[in-house]
Amino acid sequence: MNTNLAIQHALGAVLFLTSSCFASNSQASQDPPTAGPKQEESAEAKELEAKTAAGFKEFQERVDAYVKLHKSVAGSLPNIKPTTEPEKITDHQRELAQRIREARPHARRGEIFTENAKDAFRRVITAEFQGPHGRKARTTIRQGEPLKKVHLQVNESYPDGVPFTTLPPSLLLKFPKLPEQVAYRIVVHDLVLIDVEANLVVDRIPEIIPNNF
Amino acid sequence: MQKLRFLVLTLASFVLVSARADEFKFPLKSNSVRFAAIGDMGTGEAGQYETAQRMFIVHRTFPFEFVIMLGDNIYGGSSPKDFAKKFEIPYKPLLDAGVKFYASLGNHDNPNERLYKPFNMSDSNYYTFKKGNVRFFVLDSNYMDAKQLAWLEKQLKDAGNNDWKICYFHHPLYSSGKTHGSSIELRGLIEPIFVKYGVDAVFSGHDHVYERVKPEKGIYYFLEGSSGQLRPGDLARSSITEQGNDSDRTFMLIEISGDEMYFQTLSRTGSQIDSGVLRRPVRTPEPATAGTK
Repeated sequence: MNTNLAIQHALGAVLFLTSSCFASNSQASQDPPTAGPKQEESAEAKELEAKTAAGFKEFQERVDAYVKLHKSVAGSLPNIKPTTEPEKITDHQRELAQRIREARPHARRGEIFTENAKDAFRRVITAEFQGPHGRKARTTIRQGEPLKKVHLQVNESYPDGVPFTTLPPSLLLKFPKLPEQVAYRIVVHDLVLIDVEANLVVDRIPEIIPNNF
Repeated sequence: MQKLRFLVLTLASFVLVSARADEFKFPLKSNSVRFAAIGDMGTGEAGQYETAQRMFIVHRTFPFEFVIMLGDNIYGGSSPKDFAKKFEIPYKPLLDAGVKFYASLGNHDNPNERLYKPFNMSDSNYYTFKKGNVRFFVLDSNYMDAKQLAWLEKQLKDAGNNDWKICYFHHPLYSSGKTHGSSIELRGLIEPIFVKYGVDAVFSGHDHVYERVKPEKGIYYFLEGSSGQLRPGDLARSSITEQGNDSDRTFMLIEISGDEMYFQTLSRTGSQIDSGVLRRPVRTPEPATAGTK
C-alpha cells in the first residue's frame, strides 16, 4: 500500500514537472517580443512614480531655500522664549511675518509648489482619495471643521481666529516631510504651505482637495 | 498578557465603577497625583467663567496640583486680550493658588500658544511630563506626521511599564458626539501604538459633550469637550458609551494613587455627572535599572 502510494506520488510529481515545463516553453514561444499590457501599465506606473519623486524633490529643495531665508530673518530678531506675556508672542509673530514679506516681496503662487511639485501632490492626493483610505480621509476633513469662505494669498497671514481643518494623517504621511518652520494646511479646497512661527502663507495650490467630503 | 489586561479592565469597569453620586469621595492619599481635566473651554463667555469658578470652589476640598487642557484653549483669536479674557481672568484664582496648566493644541488654537509659559508646553506642539507615578504624553492631533509618530513611539517605549501612561490630545479616538464623532483615521494610526506600549488612559475633547467610553482594547477613554463650549443634545449615546452628558458644562477631577485612578466629573453647578475608580492592569515590573528618570 505504501509502495503504491509512493509510486503514485512520484508519477504525479514527474507529470506536474513535465507539464509545467511544457507550459512554460509554450508560453515563452507565444510571448510577443513587445511588452504586454501589464508590463506597459507597470512601466507607466514606474514613470509616474519617478515623476512624483522628482516633483517632491524639487518641492523640498524650494522648501529648504525658504527655511534658510526664514532662519536668516528670524536670526535678525530677538530670540523668543516661552513667556508669560502674550503680546511678546504676537509681536514676534507679526514682526517675523513682516520681515519675511520684505525679504520676498515678489513671492507668488507656484514658487514652492512648482508645476512639477503640484503635479506630484495632485497625483498623491487623487490616489489617496480614490483609494481604499479615501472615505476615511474625507471623513477626517468633514469632522475637522472644513472651511468654506476663506481665500488666502501668498504672503498673507493666516487669519486670526480661523480654525485649522484637520489634515488627514494618511495624506500627511504620504507628503514630503517638512522642517518644523513650515506645515501643510487645508484651506477650503487649497493645499497651503504655512510658516508656523510667522503664521504666514508661503505658497498654496488652489482647488487640489476634492470637494466631495 | 493582553487578554489578562482586558479581563482586568472589564472587571474593573463593572465592579469598581459603582460609586453613587452622594457616596463618592476622593481618598486624598499622600503622594497621590491629583489633577483636573478641561476641554474646549476658551470661549471667554459665561459658561467658561462659571465652570472655572466651580473648579476653584472644588479646589478647596480637592486640592488638585495641575490641570490638563484638551485643546481649543483660546477660541476666536490669539491677541493678548484673548489670552486674558479666555484664560488668565477665568482661571486667575487657580493660577494664584499655584495650580499649573498643561495645554494640548486644538484646531482653534494658534500653534504659537506653545510659547505661552502658563501653558507649560516646553515650546513644542507635543511633549511629555511626569507627576509622581504618572507619565503624561501630550500630542498634537491636528498634525499627526511621521515625526510625531516616531517621537510618540520612542517616548512610550522609553517610559517602561512602571508608571501610569496617560495620553491626551484634542481629537477623540472614540466619541458619540453627533457633530464630529470618532476620529477613525487617527485611531488607526495611534491606537496600535497605545496598545503596544500599554497606555492606560486617554483624554480628548473636540465634541462639546462629556463621555466616558467603555474600555477599548484595554484602554480607558474620556471625552471632555464641554468646559466652556456646550452642544446640548449632541451626545448620541451608543454601544461605546459608559456614561455621558450633554446638558451642562463639565470638568473632570482625577486622583491617581498606586494602581487606582479615582475620577469625578462635575457640572458647572457642582452636580456630579460621573464618578468611579478604575484599576490599572497588572504589568510585569521593570528591572530597577530600566525605565524613565
